[in-house]
Amino acid sequence: MKIVVCIKQVPATTADKRYEADLTLDRASVETVINPLDEYAIEQALRLADAGTVDEVAYLSMGPEQASEALRRALAMGGDAAYLVTDAALSGADEWATAKVLAAALDKLAPDVALMGMASDDARGSLVPGAVAAMRNLPLLSYGAELRLEDSVARIRRLNASGHDIVEAPLPVVASVTDQVGEPRYASLKGIMAAKRKPLETWALSDIGLSADELQGGALTKVTSAEPPQAKPPTERIENAPPEEAATRIADWLAARKLI
Amino acid sequence: MSNDIAFLAEFADGTPQRSALELAAGAAQLAAQSGGAAVALAYGAGAAGGAANVGAQRAVVLGDEDRPAVTYAAAAAEAARDALVLLAPATPNGRDIAAVVMGRLNVPAFGPVSEVDLDGQTLTAKQATLQGSVITASQPVDGAATPSVVLVLANTFTPAEGNADTADVSQAPAVADDPLGTAKVVESHAEEQAAVNLEEATVIVAGGRGVGGAEGFETLQELASALGGAVGASRAAADAGWVPYQLQIGQTGKVVKPSLYLGVGISGAIQHRVGMQTAEHVVAINKDPDAPIGEFADLFVVADLFSVVPKLTEEIKRRKGV
Ligand SMILES: Cc1cc2nc3c(=O)[nH]c(=O)nc-3n(C[C@H](O)[C@H](O)[C@H](O)COP(=O)(O)OP(=O)(O)OC[C@H]3O[C@@H](n4cnc5c(N)ncnc54)[C@H](O)[C@@H]3O)c2cc1C
Ligand SMILES: Nc1ncnc2c1ncn2[C@@H]1O[C@H](COP(=O)(O)O)[C@@H](O)[C@H]1O
Repeated sequence: MKIVVCIKQVPATTADKRYEADLTLDRASVETVINPLDEYAIEQALRLADAGTVDEVAYLSMGPEQASEALRRALAMGGDAAYLVTDAALSGADEWATAKVLAAALDKLAPDVALMGMASDDARGSLVPGAVAAMRNLPLLSYGAELRLEDSVARIRRLNASGHDIVEAPLPVVASVTDQVGEPRYASLKGIMAAKRKPLETWALSDIGLSADELQGGALTKVTSAEPPQAKPPTERIENAPPEEAATRIADWLAARKLI
Repeated sequence: MSNDIAFLAEFADGTPQRSALELAAGAAQLAAQSGGAAVALAYGAGAAGGAANVGAQRAVVLGDEDRPAVTYAAAAAEAARDALVLLAPATPNGRDIAAVVMGRLNVPAFGPVSEVDLDGQTLTAKQATLQGSVITASQPVDGAATPSVVLVLANTFTPAEGNADTADVSQAPAVADDPLGTAKVVESHAEEQAAVNLEEATVIVAGGRGVGGAEGFETLQELASALGGAVGASRAAADAGWVPYQLQIGQTGKVVKPSLYLGVGISGAIQHRVGMQTAEHVVAINKDPDAPIGEFADLFVVADLFSVVPKLTEEIKRRKGV
């Protein structure tokens, strides 16, 4: 059984974000990390490997050369090999183009499970897993709080309106998991050393059988303006007020805005 | 391509979800701009019976059974093929279908948005990106195929009244050989505490680690009831088992857009903030004067929640005369 975990390198949550003049993100100037939600997908895959259910875990990323750092960090947590698709034609790729590239690379790697995080930190569309499933013509098991594998089926535990469901589909599948799978492990020093010797291959578009033409310029969407959020009036504060007074003032504030 | 605006209309237990009624209102608004019709793509238990009543001009029933939303996605893509725009709720189910439509039809997708506009046939979608640090406006690139798929946050549109029997209803043809249709629910477990649909609430009282336990959440429930709202929570409170995960707000919980969000004993971590930052009014009660939530709340009350919340509940009940 083989899992390929798709991971994205993103600016650290704390890092300042900067837009370039062309309104794409200036990714060179900020500190980067593995998309935090992808670490849960890594953890899920490694738990299945620890349990002996899975015998090969590989990582796949699309991004600039620099994204190989994220792949090395993942390899330091565990797993066997990593693949980076990087190509000048991909700068400014949107979720559609990302899905197109990942789908082509996954066709080549042919895992039983293509596993993803539930969303990327910087886009937050949660669209790549479903789009990859559609492009590869495979079932989608999304938002799993846990992934389980048996001989020929995958199952996820997924929240519903009042509890949870177990959803099943025949392998191979595309799946995504949430932060409920359990806290991601840290890389050990031994893991970091071992990661340096694990294979990391870099592919251009042609290596996965795609042409720049098929990617329609790398995006079907374009950002036409980027602005800071509308400035709000400064925060009003109620401090050092006895509870009754605080309650009255909050109620006044709500009433003035017709909220009660 | 037509000028029609399609929208996803999810049904459960025979009733349309509030998102269906909101998106119907949004689709009607956009259809007035494009000169097309608002078309409901109805799916889920009871969809066939209710499709005529969500407020669309036409309704296409994708299927009427209680099965995973993604199993309706291929049919949704076929039914949306000729539309100019497809509106989908920014919920896990809505995103699953939207993603498949994007991948199957190779069309642009936007969102989650809290504002969407059409100028003739040109769509502009506004969304908060990068944890809310920028608001971007996006459009399809020139020559992009349609429909443009737009994820819409709850409470972006207000449902219209008087929707009974407005739509001509038809049945979508089945999609042959669809692997996405093979996902099935093999077990279903209900939790003891029945959860409310948080995305539908216009007033939310959210509690965090500071609330201290399940009993503390009962106190919040009383305040929420007095305000006519629902209780939500931070991940810390859900992780502690004080409330079910269905109530979690944030990056990995619900994304809500109420008119009032009242955060109690919540520090305001970025992962929580991204789930509620589009709330119209934000009030926070926290005993720490330096809590991050104080930086983005409209009203910040520095106080012990256990002394203020019961008083506030009393005061609101008194003013409402109950
Ligand atoms: C990948 C990832 C995803 C995440 N997703 C989410 C998410 O979706 N939603 C989410 O909420 N979090 C999420 N988190 C967790 C998030 O980072 C914070 O840890 C969490 O939001 C903190 O919850 P809290 O504010 O309740 O607790 P704390 O940060 O511990 O804050 C408790 C607050 O209560 C106040 N307090 C204590 N006692 C009282 C009292 N008596 N009266 C008044 N105030 C009091 C304290 O001053 C403090 O500010 C995520 C984290 C990660 C890494
Ligand atoms: N550039 C990328 N490289 C590898 N995986 C990605 C990339 N972008 C998105 N993904 C995967 O798709 C998931 C959902 O991303 P998104 O649809 O952008 O929210 C992420 O959690 C990743 O697992």
